[in-house]
Amino acid sequence: MSADSSGRVLHAPPSALAGAETSATVLGWLTTVDHKRIGILYGVTGFAFFLLGGLEALLIRLQLAVPNNTVVSAQAYNALFTMHGTTMIFLAIMPFNAMFFNYMVPLLIGARDVAFPRLNALSFWIFLAGGLLLNASLLAGTPPDIGWFGYANLTSKHYAPGLGVDFWILSLQILGVSSVIAAINFIVTILNMRAPGMTMMRMPVFVWMTLVVQFLIALAFPPITVGLIYLMFDRFFGTHFYDVAAGADLHLWQHLFWIFGHPEVYILILPAFGIVSEVLPTFARKPLFGAPIVIYSGVLIGFFGFGVWSHHMFATGMGPVADSAFSIATMLIAIPTGVKIFNWVATLWGGSIRPTSAFHFAVGLVGLFTIGGLSGVMHASPPVDLQQTDSYFVVAHLHYVLIGGSLFGLFAGIYYWWPKMTGRLLGEGLGRLNFWMLFAGFNLAFFPQHYLGAIGMPRRIYTYPPDLGWNAANFASTIGAFGIGVAVLIFMVNAWRSLRRGAPAPADPWDGRTLEWRTSSPPPAHDFDAIPPVSGRDSFWREKHGPRRGAAAGVGPAEHDATVHLPAASHWPLMVGLGMLIAAVGALTHVSLVVLGILWTICAIFRLALEHHRTPEHADQTGGLGLDHRKMAMWVFLGSECFFFGTLVATYLAYKGRSVVGPEPHQILNIPITTLSTFDLLMSSLLMVLALAAVQRGDHRQARLWLFGTALFGLVFLGFQAYEFTEFVHRGFTLQQNLFGSTFFVLTGLHGTHVAIGVLWLLSLWVLALRGRLGVADAVKVEIAGLYWHFVDVVWIAIFTLVYLIP
Amino acid sequence: MSDEHRDGEHPTVGTYVRVALVLSVVTALEVGVIYVRQLAPIIVPLLLAMSAAKFALVALFFMHLRYDSRVLTLLFAGPLVLASGLAVALTTLTGAFLVFGR
Amino acid sequence: MRSARRTVRGALGSTLVLGGCAWDAPMSTLVPRSDFARDILHVYGIITWVAVGIALVVGLALAWVLVRFRDRPGAPRLPAQTRGHSLLEISWTIAPALVLLAIAIPTIQVIFRTQAAPPRDALEITVRGHQWWWEFQYPALQVVTANELHVPAGRPVALTLQGPDVIHSFWVPQLGGKRDVVPGRLNRLTFTAETPGEYRGQCAEFCGVSHAHMGMRVIVDAPDAFAQWVAAQKAELAEPAGLAAEGKAIFARSACVGCHTIRGVSSGALGPDLTTFGSRRTLAAGILPISVDSVTAWLKNPPALKPDAKMPALGLTDEQARAVATYLIGLK
Repeated sequence: MSADSSGRVLHAPPSALAGAETSATVLGWLTTVDHKRIGILYGVTGFAFFLLGGLEALLIRLQLAVPNNTVVSAQAYNALFTMHGTTMIFLAIMPFNAMFFNYMVPLLIGARDVAFPRLNALSFWIFLAGGLLLNASLLAGTPPDIGWFGYANLTSKHYAPGLGVDFWILSLQILGVSSVIAAINFIVTILNMRAPGMTMMRMPVFVWMTLVVQFLIALAFPPITVGLIYLMFDRFFGTHFYDVAAGADLHLWQHLFWIFGHPEVYILILPAFGIVSEVLPTFARKPLFGAPIVIYSGVLIGFFGFGVWSHHMFATGMGPVADSAFSIATMLIAIPTGVKIFNWVATLWGGSIRPTSAFHFAVGLVGLFTIGGLSGVMHASPPVDLQQTDSYFVVAHLHYVLIGGSLFGLFAGIYYWWPKMTGRLLGEGLGRLNFWMLFAGFNLAFFPQHYLGAIGMPRRIYTYPPDLGWNAANFASTIGAFGIGVAVLIFMVNAWRSLRRGAPAPADPWDGRTLEWRTSSPPPAHDFDAIPPVSGRDSFWREKHGPRRGAAAGVGPAEHDATVHLPAASHWPLMVGLGMLIAAVGALTHVSLVVLGILWTICAIFRLALEHHRTPEHADQTGGLGLDHRKMAMWVFLGSECFFFGTLVATYLAYKGRSVVGPEPHQILNIPITTLSTFDLLMSSLLMVLALAAVQRGDHRQARLWLFGTALFGLVFLGFQAYEFTEFVHRGFTLQQNLFGSTFFVLTGLHGTHVAIGVLWLLSLWVLALRGRLGVADAVKVEIAGLYWHFVDVVWIAIFTLVYLIP
Repeated sequence: MSDEHRDGEHPTVGTYVRVALVLSVVTALEVGVIYVRQLAPIIVPLLLAMSAAKFALVALFFMHLRYDSRVLTLLFAGPLVLASGLAVALTTLTGAFLVFGR
Repeated sequence: MRSARRTVRGALGSTLVLGGCAWDAPMSTLVPRSDFARDILHVYGIITWVAVGIALVVGLALAWVLVRFRDRPGAPRLPAQTRGHSLLEISWTIAPALVLLAIAIPTIQVIFRTQAAPPRDALEITVRGHQWWWEFQYPALQVVTANELHVPAGRPVALTLQGPDVIHSFWVPQLGGKRDVVPGRLNRLTFTAETPGEYRGQCAEFCGVSHAHMGMRVIVDAPDAFAQWVAAQKAELAEPAGLAAEGKAIFARSACVGCHTIRGVSSGALGPDLTTFGSRRTLAAGILPISVDSVTAWLKNPPALKPDAKMPALGLTDEQARAVATYLIGLK
């Protein structure tokens, strides 16, 4: 599929789903590892869940259309808003974002796929498992009804005895795993797989926003994972993390939830900001105004986004100092956000605007997000927030930023990149109708909610009395919601017509600026015939419209790369996802399924890991920064683990001394014995580096010796821990005994689990070595196992000091 | 730009053994000082400093950060610092240090 | 400062009137009836004007560029490829920062002023939020009541919020902002109500199935009216007669006594104190006005009116329920 000098594709337009190395059969889709196909899977699945979440919204609005309404019961309503929120955030917006990450990022950076194609597929299948599990709760008749934020202790077994909360916990955990794996994948891809000449500052803004989002995901999910583990243990195993009678602090859940929850909103919006930063320049025919500043502000927003979470807690009684600190931090974040708006407007100034549908949606974001952002600034002031929080004012704010912001941005991306992904054009007339219907419906639905909040309507109420003045605005809001539904239908019609008989799309329908327009629509399986040359930001634009600098003029293929290794299809990602689903279902039904699921998952992981152990093309995975993909990935994972263990340790320290009954640490912890086990773990790290050195110089005998030695020392550590735990239980100190029991056993137990996984990993490497299948070329695999092992050791150093030694 | 090893250095087995020795000594000291009553007023910062030193030694030598590309140090140090800050903030907010809150 | 405040309030007020919407709804956050509510509205006003101003500027700028820079036939093929302008970008970074400073200063001042320790002459009230009703205790006055809070006008009131079950939030918009009721913690809310009258409030933190039915009434009494109310709460209950006496007998021998306190009759502590039930204006946490019919309907089947209510249907016949209702309404 080569292009002639004018950039037109010479062949007839391919069908919308071509361009992948596997066939268009069901099996092909189930085993694909192609980033473009995975992107489409995310998009289609996300859209299905989006429709479901939208239906839930319409039922909510029907119930609230008039006072004292009886469309749904109180119980059903509470389940509806729980499912609507959880679905829209995790199963709609995030997968839509993922669709664009997957499809476009490799193209935008001039790569042929992501760093780990099979892990990419794995992320999708795990996501699907999580989404199916959450919605299975509807089929089981026990949907969660505690809000998408599930505040403790309403979520305790006592106040929420059914399975609904358990469905919710397990789904979120599964979805979190999916997201973090994908985050690591994209971080390595963006850092290590850029085309030659594409420095970081020459990357498209969408790629930069993606990079920031992936770091946010990798670091923000661990705290909520820990918070959910605590809730799961309280519900399943009788711990006391959220048990007030045992001395727990209910604010802990809120802190952990919002330490995740606030970065999550940036995870939801930054991709839309990135899309707008691509769409506006394209249709204004001039570069993004102040692109470096837009990039830096995105990075700042991401970083500072970790410091503002308690602005969701201004009414909870944290005290004036905490309130003030978080208020100021929140106001500071408004600055880089506001700057972006100005930069976008300035991009349009002096431009030559072609108002396509994509452009309409992008401009819609700029206007609507301004409103949503400003209501957010109002919430940043605690006194004002004390009137606005938990009222419809916040509901208005969040929908202005999530629909007016994220959804409008995503629609801009859909209209913009649809030709590239499908090879067809969407109808412009229907597109503008789509936009105006959505704009009108959305504003009618949500602007009146500012008023409702201002006159005192609280959130999350299934009905309201007729004498509070809320009637007319609620009715109008309901009409608007149905308008949104009509807009979505218009989009579906537009999409259907386009796929059926839409005009074929050329490679570069918009006179684009970035690299994806340099290949056909849709791209071939290998993305680019040759990796494109990059001479600056918007390098494709420079090629077309920039001053000729003697390099090849016009658009034409550079020399073909002779051999392109395409990642082979694999069914192991699907198998791992299936195993996790089985285990989760088992947690809700019978423990035998948990065992089956875990064993299935472990087997599938082994097969996935060893699938290409002997594939020559997989031996060297060095990327643009001169680093091996796998080594970089491990370090990103360890960064994420810092947050995981940091949260566990912080909880231990926060709850120290709050147990209502004994024993206390100094009464039960055995320092001499633990000193021995600490020493053992430290020495195991020494053995590990000796093992790595042996593998690197090809000394098979010593490799086997030291690998086994490390694993053995790890087993000894586990032995010490087993002895310690057994001793404690005999003396009446159990997981359920008191708050100290809960924090101690979960912290050290999770660490022990990490050690156990490490031992398993090392023994697997040892077995490979025994069979003569661990050569010098496999040194990286031992190296990353070593990094994991040393990290686990380092965490123990922290635990030993903070838990055992500090009085 | 291949940056696998800075300065072409690579630690020897001897270096590793020496690091392991230092780690053992510091661990022994850590356990020892908690029994020394005169050090009780400064025991917490003292222990924190010693464990931080062990943490650094493992990261720099065993995990090879001292010899590897700075990108890896950044990839780890950034989250480490952020996580530590969050842990301190969380512990403070939940009243563990009874400085703020209430 | 004060004239500035008046100007802000005047401008805000006139806009509200001009706005045409009804801003003085019973739970409006823009109708301040206490010092706390006024302090909040002061900051609210500043921020609202700032927000509206910025929205207008951005909106107009956006509209203008969209019209002015449309691609016209005959225009040069490519516009000037401007990449940025340092001075401009620095200015529009500093400007928002200054605006935020103007918001931050009054914000911090009001935070500390409204969270200061209450004055020593404040009336201490303990608020306990239950699923799904409010308990109010006046320790110094030895009064316990439910769902209807009486406070004296012009005297500081110091609420201490406690939670025996899940998290709730105490919110009476015209008397100020909300504060969560968190089990295991004691939160405080202090205000001085200005104008006698009846104010409506509602729980503002999702607390389960009937979160929507956890309202309350706050009655701000002139000082002597308040004193009368206190006296009435502590006075001996008159002996009921006729249907009410029948009702009392039914009450005394039914499960009611296990949950409810009526002074001299029962001492249950799981449900609202009913000693002066008849003096209240609404029942079941503000969901219905009190009348023989409404109380009868409630008594016959509480979960029908308040889903999942902890009070079960007691199997009372129509006559029995009416009798008890008559008795309860007579408790003043």
